[in-house]
Amino acid sequence: MFSQTLQEKTRRDFLKLTSMGVFSASCTGWLNVLANAAATGATAGPSKVKSVVLLWQSGGPSHKDTWDLKPESKGAGEFKPIATSAPGIQISEHMPKIAKVMNHGAIIRGMSTGEGAHSRASYNMHTGFREGQGGLVYPSLGAHVSKELGKKDFPLPNYVTIGGRSYGAGFLGPKHQPLVISNPDRGVEDLKPVVSGGQFDKRMNLLEDMEKAFYHTYQADNINDHQTTYSRAVTMMQSKEVKAFDITNEPTALKDAYGSDTFGRGCLMARKLVEVGIPFIEVNIGGWDTHLDNFGRLKTTLLPKLDAGAATLITDLKEHGLLESTLVIVMGEFGRTPNINTRGALPGRDHYPRAWSLGMFGGGVKGGVVHGKTDKEGAVVEEGKTTTLDFMATVCKIMGIDYTKENETSTKRPIRIVEKGATPVAAVIA
Amino acid sequence: MIMKRFAAALLLASGALFLASQTPIDLAAQDAKSDKAAMLKKFLERKAARAKAEADAEKAKAEAEKAKVETNKPTPEVVKMSPAETSAAKPMDAKAVAKFIDAQINQELAVAKLDSSSRSSDAEFIRRVSLDITGVIPTAERVGSFLASSDPNKRALLVDEMLQSPKYGQRLADIWTNQMLPMDSALRYTGKDPLVKYMVDTFNANKPWDRMAHEIISASGDQDKNGAVTYYMFNAGVDKMTDSVGKLFLGVQIQCAQCHNHPFTTWKQTEYWGMAQFFYNVSVTIQKNNKQVDIIPGVVENSRASRRGNPLPESAKTVPAKFLGGDLATLNSSKPYRPVLADWLCTAENPFFSKSMVNRVWAQYMGRGLVNPIDDLSDENPASHPELLKGLAKEFANGGFDLKNLVRAICLSDAYQRSSVPTPNNKADTVLYSHMAIKVLTPEQLFDSLAAVVGTPTADAGRGMGKPLNKGSNSPRDRFVAFFMGTENAKATDYEAGIPQALRLMNNQKLSSSSSLVSQLVQSKAKPAEAINKLYLTAVARKATEAEVEKLTGYIVQGESSDPKAPLSDILWALLNSSEFALNH
Repeated sequence: MFSQTLQEKTRRDFLKLTSMGVFSASCTGWLNVLANAAATGATAGPSKVKSVVLLWQSGGPSHKDTWDLKPESKGAGEFKPIATSAPGIQISEHMPKIAKVMNHGAIIRGMSTGEGAHSRASYNMHTGFREGQGGLVYPSLGAHVSKELGKKDFPLPNYVTIGGRSYGAGFLGPKHQPLVISNPDRGVEDLKPVVSGGQFDKRMNLLEDMEKAFYHTYQADNINDHQTTYSRAVTMMQSKEVKAFDITNEPTALKDAYGSDTFGRGCLMARKLVEVGIPFIEVNIGGWDTHLDNFGRLKTTLLPKLDAGAATLITDLKEHGLLESTLVIVMGEFGRTPNINTRGALPGRDHYPRAWSLGMFGGGVKGGVVHGKTDKEGAVVEEGKTTTLDFMATVCKIMGIDYTKENETSTKRPIRIVEKGATPVAAVIA
Repeated sequence: MIMKRFAAALLLASGALFLASQTPIDLAAQDAKSDKAAMLKKFLERKAARAKAEADAEKAKAEAEKAKVETNKPTPEVVKMSPAETSAAKPMDAKAVAKFIDAQINQELAVAKLDSSSRSSDAEFIRRVSLDITGVIPTAERVGSFLASSDPNKRALLVDEMLQSPKYGQRLADIWTNQMLPMDSALRYTGKDPLVKYMVDTFNANKPWDRMAHEIISASGDQDKNGAVTYYMFNAGVDKMTDSVGKLFLGVQIQCAQCHNHPFTTWKQTEYWGMAQFFYNVSVTIQKNNKQVDIIPGVVENSRASRRGNPLPESAKTVPAKFLGGDLATLNSSKPYRPVLADWLCTAENPFFSKSMVNRVWAQYMGRGLVNPIDDLSDENPASHPELLKGLAKEFANGGFDLKNLVRAICLSDAYQRSSVPTPNNKADTVLYSHMAIKVLTPEQLFDSLAAVVGTPTADAGRGMGKPLNKGSNSPRDRFVAFFMGTENAKATDYEAGIPQALRLMNNQKLSSSSSLVSQLVQSKAKPAEAINKLYLTAVARKATEAEVEKLTGYIVQGESSDPKAPLSDILWALLNSSEFALNH
């Protein structure tokens, strides 16, 4: 039954075949096919940081109005900087809650990347590669964390994205695809069977017999994949950990503090998912593409939402004793122009990847630190230039992941987690 | 000539290893080249072996001819392609082409010393051909009559029957509109349906592909009068149009050459810009926000077309229009440019056009292109069966680009009709068609097939997906398809569903409850064996085996006292969640 010769067989397929017949006691006694026998990958060394929460600001948030204010500059804009709990660090007046927890975080002000188009920049910041580079679909950071840090018999997916589709696992395969939660108030859709538990079990037994017989005759890999997906779904249905996706019983005051929109609720769910041990959660907050009405939108909608969700998450994690083991990242795909455009009725800023900022909080991060400096216009990075690769390597280092490790594509091409030329930003790593 | 290019590629591959510092794109190119170098080496080996096999076959043919004179029996022979017919399109002889396909494939199998799996069963065949041609499983009644028929010609007749169905056009429209219309939230107010309708109607009318492609490429006018213009509305931008037309109609990935010389092929940046010129005057009008209700969406060519947001550099605009890999084009600034491109592109003489389409259709039926990825035809990415591709392309072109006839030829071949059950000897083969590849049902096929069994779901089937991506894309089918949509470059054999999809199939109300099918069986007091077979015929297009009938009869008898519908519902549920249902074997 093992592959003998011929082109497209891969090591992954081999491991799948050998896992046939492995019976996991943690399952319902369901299918005897489990993909968890596949290698979970070596880590560079265990880190005390166990989870990443990526708060993804889709659209490209203006750095000059959030993390890197330049009140003396030409395009200073309407916002003023305020002091934070970190001595010497000032951020936007419209992020007061985040300012209070700045001592737990660091700002990288020297981000400088090449992509100014949303989808390409977004892809690049999630995967570390350019879309279509070398003809491959690259794994997103979440998929890498799922593969490197995901626990073997964990009943839940190791990569969850809330409020948006995010990027997938690419050549790492279906096991590391994110579970997508579109609406945190609804949790995981279709989690409960329509029929009674007993009838559901009977149905599963019927299905198991059918699957065995079918695989025995046809023996194709995608049969295995189908079974693996179902196996994981059933395991999840019947786990106690899946309750983490249910935020309905959280205290009202806490829910209010997070905010009642998808992002706020998503941050609350993220805390619960960290609690239950999921290593990578992405929460989406869109709307940052402020070509028009930059200041109005930031002040009225975007920053209050971000401020409430992010700061409450950081505080909530701390109160649960989880902040030291959770890395919280706040970023988008690029920054916005240092100059203000007056094309439309209300002033705005356009895409700007040449110099921008992001924030990192919690586990593994040296609190109260700024790395990198832009010129007085916030247009050019003068010190501490940080590329996409540097950023990815920094996150990997904090998580105890060996970013030089190679994974194989389906044609056996080895691809590093982070490409050559990356230097982790030591200044922000605790 | 081709040998020189391969040798050059191999040299480049080894040379690249000595570069001191390499950018990611260099590394990727180097990796791809060494991958490709390995593939090329294998290809050359097989080519030599094939030449020998051909020579042997010629000898055998000559001897057989001698013998034929004496015994008058049909002899095995390597079928050679007929010389190119004139362009007075004589319909392609589907049966003869099917034989040609088999001769080419069997030759390679012999060289590789692989067994071919046996012919598919009738049950396997009807389900496969129904899914492949019409995008949906066959009805229980049709399966029953097909299995019962003793007509030796029944498979060919079934193929023709399927080709007449309006679902043929829908299936192709599903495939093509997915490729033609990228997902883009800026197109929230733009509908896909006009293009879908155009594609369905035109495929069903079996318009010759050269004329259909010409229409699409040159499409102009208001969207509600010419649905084909939707293609340009979704790809507004000279670079997007160039990339898309390159991939879809030429089968060439020239988009890398937009910014620099293509790393893997010989396409230079100037070639890209030369092609981009044809789209320079395209002016697209789309509704951009919910206030623009009075604009008329459509596409025209206009020498004063807005160039804002055009990402091509200034120097690109001075490159003269030029056909890819061909001559300079003469453009008249007072006439549309795209028909000039289409006149060159949509012909039998064009080096890419016929091959590109043949490869796509082949991949749709066989689960894998002769060239892969299917839109990446180049000297550096050779076909697994170059003579087959060349021959099919020539036949397709000379036969008037008749798509249905091409499908017919493929479906009549042994290679297509081969079982997907592997033998120990050929199990590892995924390239030479020793056994049929098992394809995963597309989201559209899955929806249509589930609906065929349990009825069309209500509006909540796609809940939780947020706002629809495009105007009008809001039906249960649209939402289901969006929910199950996999990644863009997935192969036909890649299983991409994740936990949410599995949960949906297992626990969705409509799929879990007793369907009318089950109710009818219970009401008519059908005996267990009869009921079981009805469920199997409906869901997986075959009768249950004796062992299955025995086991499931026991299951029914045990469970029906409490709720007579429950056991049959359970069996149907299991069938609908099985690999056998989700896969096209």
